[in-house]
Formats: sequence, C-alpha cells, structure tokens
Amino acid sequence: MDWLEQELKQALDRKDPATDFAERVRRRTRGDGFRTALWPQRWLAAAAVLMVMAGAGLGYRQYQGNQAKEQMMLAFRIAGEKVNHIQAQVKERTR
Amino acid sequence: MKCRQKLVLLGSLASLLYAQQFKFNLDHLSAKASNVVDISLGGPLLQLGARFLDSKDPDQAAVKKMVSGLEGIYVKSFEFKMPGAWTMADLDAVRSQLKSPDWMKMVGYTSTADGENAEIYIRMEDKKINGVAVLVSGVKELTVVNIAGPVDLEALASLGGHFGVPKIVPPPKKK
Repeated sequence: MDWLEQELKQALDRKDPATDFAERVRRRTRGDGFRTALWPQRWLAAAAVLMVMAGAGLGYRQYQGNQAKEQMMLAFRIAGEKVNHIQAQVKERTR
Repeated sequence: MKCRQKLVLLGSLASLLYAQQFKFNLDHLSAKASNVVDISLGGPLLQLGARFLDSKDPDQAAVKKMVSGLEGIYVKSFEFKMPGAWTMADLDAVRSQLKSPDWMKMVGYTSTADGENAEIYIRMEDKKINGVAVLVSGVKELTVVNIAGPVDLEALASLGGHFGVPKIVPPPKKK
C-alpha cells in the first residue's frame, strides 16, 4: 500500500459521530436558531398578504366612493330638475 | 346589557344607517317601466361619495355644498312606454305617509291638459326644514324623491340650472 492509498483509506474511513451529535441536531431544529431562520420569510409573506388586502380594500373603497358620487349626482340632478320645474309651473300659475 | 337596551341600540344604529323618512312601496312598477332610476344613498355612503366630488367642477361643487349635513337621498323614478302603468293607489300609498304633524305640503299643481301632478312636501324640526319629499306624476312617468336632512330648497331648485339642463324660468306675462 503506497502513501496515497493510505491517505485515502484514512480519509474515507468510517467514523462514528460524537456522542452528543443527535442531541445537538435536535436542539438546532427546535431551538431559536432554526426558528429565527424562518422569521424573515414568514414576516415577508404576512406583510405581502396584508399589503394585498389593504390594496384591495382601498380599491374597493375607491370604487364604492365613485359609485356613490355618480348616484348622488344623478339623484340631485333629478331632484333639482323636478323642484325647479314645479317652482316654475307654480310661479307661472300664480302670476 | 338587557334585551330592551340592546333593541334600542340596534334600532338607533339601524336608523343611522337607513334614514329614509317614508316608504316608497313602488318596486312592483319596475317590471312595467322602460326606464327606472332607483337610488338609495344613506348617510355613510353619501358622505363617502361627497369626498370624491371635485370642488373645481361647478356642478359637483354645488352638490358638495348641499350634501354636508344630509342623512340620505332616495329617488325612485319610472318612465313608461304606455300610459296607465301606474295607478292612483301607488301614489296614494306614498302620499298617505306625508301627513301632518310631521309633513306639510309646501306647494303643488295639477295640469289637466297634460295629466301632470306635482307636489313638494317638507318636514319641519325645530322650525327648520329637515326633509323634503317630491312627488311628480305624469301619464308616462312617476318620480318620488326623499331628501332626508336639512335642505335648502332654493339651492336645490338652482341645481336644475346645472348639469347642462337649462333652468326653467317662466316666460314674461303678455300685457
């Protein structure tokens, strides 16, 4: 066995993990480190949902406001026309 | 909170949301009409719509002035292709609600020549107009309007001269 084979054998030799390896992995996955890694993603997703909801809400409010405005203008046009017409008719009759 | 108090609270909330001062009961005419305008704008929607009015536009500025303080505006207007689509009972059902002491008839006229009848009623509270009802009926038309809240009738009539519709001024009497 030459020196290269020796080196390779040593490098690829099977080694048992340290005794606390399993415990360390478990701690990392349920511990703060693991959670904090996901926080930014969760906050970003929540913020995106909130922004979409707020945008939709504002859009609907704008639509509702414009609808109300159009209806209001039509209502006042009809009411104004009728009152003006009645007043003119009455004035004409009472002269 | 007791049940009665809850009912009173609900009632007052409902009245805030729905300020119409008399019932129209005219929905059955929609099927016969060739043109229907049905507008029901309570206080919150009215104030929301007012925020979208453009003060630079003279029509919208005039409406904006009138809207502040109003509780609602309700319009039902029907145009029919054929005469006789509405009956006097339809009109009476509305008219019967516009009675003293809440309401008083301010002005009205009937034209037998063209079968037109028009009336303006006002509702007074603390010596101030707090509501207007307008009833206009013709052979092929029926319009009922309720404006709930303080109304300036002169300003309302002057709106007839806005919106591109010429204000109707009676012709000078011949000597």
